[in-house]
Amino acid sequence: MASLTLDKVRKTFGSVEVLKEINLAIEDGEFLVLVGPSGCGKSTLLNLIAGLETSSDGEIRIGDRVINNVHPKDRNIAMVFQSYALYPNMTVRKNITFGLEIRGVSASERDKAVDDVARLLQIENLLDRKPSQLSGGQRQRVAMGRALVRNPDIFLFDEPLSNLDAKLRVDMRTEIKKLHHRLGSTIVYVTHDQIEAMTLASRIAVMKGGILQQFDTPQHIYEKPNNMFVAGFIGSPSMNFIEAKLVDDNGKIAVTFDNNGQKVVLPLLENSPESYKSWVGKDVVFGIRPEGLTHKRTGSDKPGSQYVNFDAKVEVIEPTGADTMTVINLGGKEIVARVRPDRATNPGEMMTFSADMNQISLFDPTTELRI
Amino acid sequence: MADLQTYGQDSGLKHTLLRGLLYLVLILFSIYYLFPLFVMITTSLKSLTEIREGSLISLPRVVTFDAWNYAWNEACVGVECSGIKTFFWNSVQMAIPAVLISTILGALNGYALTKFRFKGANIVFAMLLFGCFVPFQVVLLPMSVTLGKLGIANSTMGLVLVHVVYGLCFTTLFFRNYYVSIPDELVKAATIDGAGFFTIFWRIILPISGPIIVVSIIWQFTQIWNDFLFGASFSSGGSAPMTVALNNIVNTTTGVKQYNVDMASALLTGLPTLLVYVLAGKYFVRGLTAGSVKG
Repeated sequence: MASLTLDKVRKTFGSVEVLKEINLAIEDGEFLVLVGPSGCGKSTLLNLIAGLETSSDGEIRIGDRVINNVHPKDRNIAMVFQSYALYPNMTVRKNITFGLEIRGVSASERDKAVDDVARLLQIENLLDRKPSQLSGGQRQRVAMGRALVRNPDIFLFDEPLSNLDAKLRVDMRTEIKKLHHRLGSTIVYVTHDQIEAMTLASRIAVMKGGILQQFDTPQHIYEKPNNMFVAGFIGSPSMNFIEAKLVDDNGKIAVTFDNNGQKVVLPLLENSPESYKSWVGKDVVFGIRPEGLTHKRTGSDKPGSQYVNFDAKVEVIEPTGADTMTVINLGGKEIVARVRPDRATNPGEMMTFSADMNQISLFDPTTELRI
Repeated sequence: MADLQTYGQDSGLKHTLLRGLLYLVLILFSIYYLFPLFVMITTSLKSLTEIREGSLISLPRVVTFDAWNYAWNEACVGVECSGIKTFFWNSVQMAIPAVLISTILGALNGYALTKFRFKGANIVFAMLLFGCFVPFQVVLLPMSVTLGKLGIANSTMGLVLVHVVYGLCFTTLFFRNYYVSIPDELVKAATIDGAGFFTIFWRIILPISGPIIVVSIIWQFTQIWNDFLFGASFSSGGSAPMTVALNNIVNTTTGVKQYNVDMASALLTGLPTLLVYVLAGKYFVRGLTAGSVKG
C-alpha cells in the first residue's frame, strides 16, 4: 500500500516523444484509471511505472522512494496483463507461486498464500490445472491471483478485461471493484473503455497523443470536461457539439445557433461563469450531453426554469429500452437527444425538446478548450 | 428431386475417380522413392555368389546377415580392417555434442534476439541469417587454420566445433522465428515476478520450446551425421566420421567388390537419421509450421 507520484515524466523513442511531461499523484488506496484512444501513451506510462521501460526524464515515486532506477522486481508492484501472460508450462498453483519461489519464500508459506488467494478469487478447484485448460474468465482470475499473492504496494492492470466477452467483462469489472474495496490497495488501471474508467476509478487520467488531457474524479470529468476531446471521449453516446455564438439577449447572455433557417436562442442561467461575458459576440462550440437534451419537461415554460424549449424535426429514433435516442439535425450536424420512450415521436415529425442549461459546456472553437 | 439425385451420383463417381487417380500417383511416387531402398536392403541380405548370379531386383533366396556382420566388424577402411563400428562411434561422439550445443546456443540466441531486444539485434540477426547461405566450401580453409591454431585439428572435438559454428545460423533462425510468436508479456510478467535472464529462459521459455527443439535436433542431426565434406577435410585416419569411412569402404580398389557389404555399410550409416525421423518425425512438421498460424 503506497501513494504514487509522477513528476514531469517524459518518454521518447528516438525523436518521437510519446509522453510529454506527465504529472500525476494519487494517494494510498486510490484507483487511478489511465484512459485514452490507442496510441495515446497510456500503456507506455504503465510500463514506466512497472519499470519495464525507463523514462527519459522526470521522477517516479512510490511512497517517498524514487524508483526510476529500481529494477521491476524490487519496486514491489504486481501487474496483470491483457493477454494474462500465464506461464503455459506451469499449473495454476505454480503460476501463482512462481514469484514467491523466485523470492525465496518457503514452501509452507507459499502454500498458505496460494490457498488464501485461491479462496478469495474462488479458484480453489482450478489449482492443479494448466492455463490451457481454463476459460478466459478463469485465466483472468489466475492472472489476478498471481498479482494478489505478492501483496504489492501497487497493482498495475493493463487492459485486463479487453479479451473477455461483453457479459463476463461487466461481471469481472464488478469483481475488481469489490476486490479494491476489500483490499484497499492502490491500483493503476489502463483501459480504452471509458465506461470501465467511469465505473472503476476514484480518479481518471484522460490521455491523448502523449499529453495528459485531464486528471480528476470521474464525475467532475464527466460534468466539466477540460476540452472537446475529453468531452467527446467520456460518455456514451458522446456529447453533442453545436457551432454557436454567444449573444446579448436583452441583458442576458444566450447561446444562439441555426436550426434549419430558424434561430434558436438559449439564454444561459444566472449562475454562469463570469468568463462567458468576454465571449459575447464570438463564435463558440456549444456542448450538451444527450441526457441534457430531452422531451419537453414539465415546468419548462415557467420563468427562471433551467430548461429552455425549442422545436426540431426528428430524423431517426434509436430505442434502447430505457430511453429512446432521438437524432435531430441542427445546423447540418446530427444531434442526439435522450427522450423517454413514451414521449418519443416518429421520424419526420416535429417535436419540442428541452435543453437543460445546467448541463452545458462551452468550448473555444480554435483551441477546443473549455471556456 | 430426381434431378438432384442424378447430380449427386454423378459427382460421387467423379469424386471416386479423382481419388483413385490421386492414390495412383501417390503409389507410383512411393515406389519410385522406395525402390533404391528395396534394392539396398535385399542386396545386403544376399551372399556375394547370389548377387553375381541373380538379378538386381530379386528377393534373396537365402537371407543372411553375414554382410552386416562383416561391415560392422571386419570391413577394411584404408589399412585398418576392424569394420565400420569404430567410425560409427566417432560419428556418435561428434554428432551428439554438436547437436546439443548448437541447439542450446540457438535457443539462447533466439531468446535474446526476440525477448531481450538489445541495440543492433536486427543487424546481428541479419548477419546470422547471412551465415545460412555461406557454402561449406568457402569456410574450409579459414576453418582449418582456426582449428590448427586452437590445436584441435584432426580431432572429434574440432569437428564438433566446426558443426556448432556452421549450424548456429540455422538453429538461431529456427528458435528466433518460434520465439517471435511467444507473447512478450510472458517475459514481462516473469521479470516483475523477479526472474532474471537465465531463470526466465530455463523455467519458462525452454519448457514451451518442445516442438522447435525437436525440429532443431532433427535438422542438426541429419546435417551433422550426413556431412561428408567437413569430415573428410578436418579429420584423418581413426578420427574420421562414419560417412568418410563408408566412402573408404565402398571405394576400396583392392580385392573383390563386395556389393552386399557396401549396401550393409550404407544402411548402417543411414540408420541413425532414419531412427531420429521415425521417433520424432511427427513433431518435425508440427514444429516447422508452429507460429505460422495464430491460435
